[in-house]
Amino acid sequence: MNRRSAVRTLLYIAGGTLVLPACFRESGKATIDLINFSISEDNEQLLAELTETLIPATDTPGGKELLLHLFVLKMVDDCHAPEEQRQFINGMEQFETWAREELGTDFKGADPESRTALLSRLGESNNEDLKAFFAITKRRTIQGYLNSQYVMTNLIRYELVPGRYNGYAPA
Amino acid sequence: MANLAIDSIKDRTFDAIVIGSGASGSWAAKEFTEKGLKTLLLERGRNVEHVKDYPTTNMYPYEFEHRLEMPYADRQKNPIANRCYNYKEDSAHFFVKDDEHPYIQVKDFDWIRGYQVGGKSLLWARQVQRWSDFDFEGPARDGFSVDWPIRYKDVAPWYSYVERFIGVSGNNDGIPELPDGEHLPGYPLNAVEDHFSRSVKQHYKNRHVISARCAHISKPNPIHIEQGRVQCQNRILCRRGCPFGGYYSANAVTIPWAQKTGNLTLRPHSVVHSIIYDETLGKATGVKVIDANTKEEMEFFAKVIFVNASALNTNLILLNSTSNRFPQGLGNDNGLLGKYVAFHNYTATISAEYDGLKQYRTDGRNPAGGGYIPRFRNVYRQETDFLRGWAAGFGASRSDVQDTSGVGNTLKEDILNPKLGPWRVHSHMMAETIPKVDNFVALDGDQKDAWGIPLLRISIDYDENDRKMRQDYYEQMTEMFEKAGFTNIRTRDDNRNPGNDIHEMGGVRMGHDPKTSLLNRWHQLHACQNVFVTDGACMTSTSTQNPTLTYMAFTARAANYAMDEMKKGSL
Repeated sequence: MNRRSAVRTLLYIAGGTLVLPACFRESGKATIDLINFSISEDNEQLLAELTETLIPATDTPGGKELLLHLFVLKMVDDCHAPEEQRQFINGMEQFETWAREELGTDFKGADPESRTALLSRLGESNNEDLKAFFAITKRRTIQGYLNSQYVMTNLIRYELVPGRYNGYAPA
Repeated sequence: MANLAIDSIKDRTFDAIVIGSGASGSWAAKEFTEKGLKTLLLERGRNVEHVKDYPTTNMYPYEFEHRLEMPYADRQKNPIANRCYNYKEDSAHFFVKDDEHPYIQVKDFDWIRGYQVGGKSLLWARQVQRWSDFDFEGPARDGFSVDWPIRYKDVAPWYSYVERFIGVSGNNDGIPELPDGEHLPGYPLNAVEDHFSRSVKQHYKNRHVISARCAHISKPNPIHIEQGRVQCQNRILCRRGCPFGGYYSANAVTIPWAQKTGNLTLRPHSVVHSIIYDETLGKATGVKVIDANTKEEMEFFAKVIFVNASALNTNLILLNSTSNRFPQGLGNDNGLLGKYVAFHNYTATISAEYDGLKQYRTDGRNPAGGGYIPRFRNVYRQETDFLRGWAAGFGASRSDVQDTSGVGNTLKEDILNPKLGPWRVHSHMMAETIPKVDNFVALDGDQKDAWGIPLLRISIDYDENDRKMRQDYYEQMTEMFEKAGFTNIRTRDDNRNPGNDIHEMGGVRMGHDPKTSLLNRWHQLHACQNVFVTDGACMTSTSTQNPTLTYMAFTARAANYAMDEMKKGSL
């Protein structure tokens, strides 16, 4: 593990929201260390754009800033069966091609509205790997988002120590 | 302390030795040390000190690499541990991994273990109910196992004694089959649990839905403060170990209490090989221990030995304690050691929805988990075509429902603004199983573990009585749910293996007659009276209650009896 990816992994594992300095974003190889498969930097960026499209930055951070794509990769690498990892990788490869056919441009270059519309009709595809890739990505993105430090401390507060129970609280 | 070289026999001699540091063993240690006995508490696993060794206890969900999910590689490597509901990223360090301590499954059996100081008392579900004479008289009335040599009146004062010390929250409900106790305020039922409780009361004569009784401190008494514990803070992160001491664990309560006396020697990493029997004296003189790390063999001596290694390991130690006098295992003159093992049948659940009481929701978390339905089947007389009956847990909750169908701003909005869903209700069965001679454990003739101790062969299965009871649970609970107006009722077969209930019991059962039982009414081996068994292994039958409270009461009773006998010089 090189220092850069080590630092990045550390920051990611710590669950922190962070804005990476430019040197990180422009680095040649910046993916987190994966054990069971590897992906190209292009595909990592694609995944980042995908999580950003799923959960865009508004007045609060979106997928990219919260590094949700790294969470997706971490979970696919560690928690999914080899068959699902295979579908995920194949589906990711096919996603770029499919997106270009549908959009007439590559996914990363498309405007947010076109990207959102594209993902909304992904369910209509007959490509099983593509659908599996998207289902895994979406599920893990939502999980990573709702379980991020940012959301759990700022938006939907997680209480470690509730200190109370009321079985008749007003709805 | 534990690592000092102890070389003289005198230094290795104690008044009492307790094997196993979980709920029951630590109670024996507490009783002995409090009354001045030099006590050696042996634990095969590592030490776990209260708070200090709870590495995950204050972690937020986002601090867990996999958000509490167990990685695929771990699930493949440890399928048995992974089938336990409590084995997650925040608690896995308190569980035995499958390959660390192998055993032989003659039939599928999930043996869930916690090899550390405190044992499974860090991981238990903390549900505590007393037995009544409807339970103790079961085998005699219904003609299975053997008659319990004790009755409720023998144990009742010790239930009180234990409850006052550990802190049990619950109501006194005035139900004969579930005796009242020394309770801290109960955790109230929520709106829909209350509704169900009222409905059941209205429609049935002898059925009750009460607040579950749990070993949590809803309101501390001075004794709990003295133990360094405070009120339960409703975290429900109990399996991580509780920094507040909000629930009873050996680590938070009985072990530190015993340590404060100055009379306790706690020795972790001590695998008990066997109990040493002296034929001339006609009693046990000590235990043979193998250091878990160095594999060094050593002996410790005492006047009295309590075996609290957890039900099946207690069987294993006794079976492995062979001598000329006891070639089949210590105290095993009748060949019944290891036989008549039983458990609780947890293979059924039922769930439903309720459309009413929408003005309410719950806020915070309930450590009791909701309601408890004491056994009502075959209590006063035999009324079904199966023996005995079942108790059940019952809970209602209303959670947020998130629409995850969208993409982009819609998705973000939807998941950040969940809607309050319907009330959902859930129940799980906890059924008695009948001990049988063909549900047994035995030592393997060839295979040994890393410490040279034979592997345990486990042959335990469900039977027709269990299947009939499951059907009855579905029928009765469905009817009770319907009467309460619940809809969308779904029964679900939970096809878990025996053992996954983590309530394995028996093998060293109590009884009146040395020909048909191993232990007498004071938990002494009939044939070797300075060896006591007060963990799950002593159980003559299982009834339906969560068993730990009963083990603790048995232990306190037997330990005080042992000390009385030692004073008289008869042990």
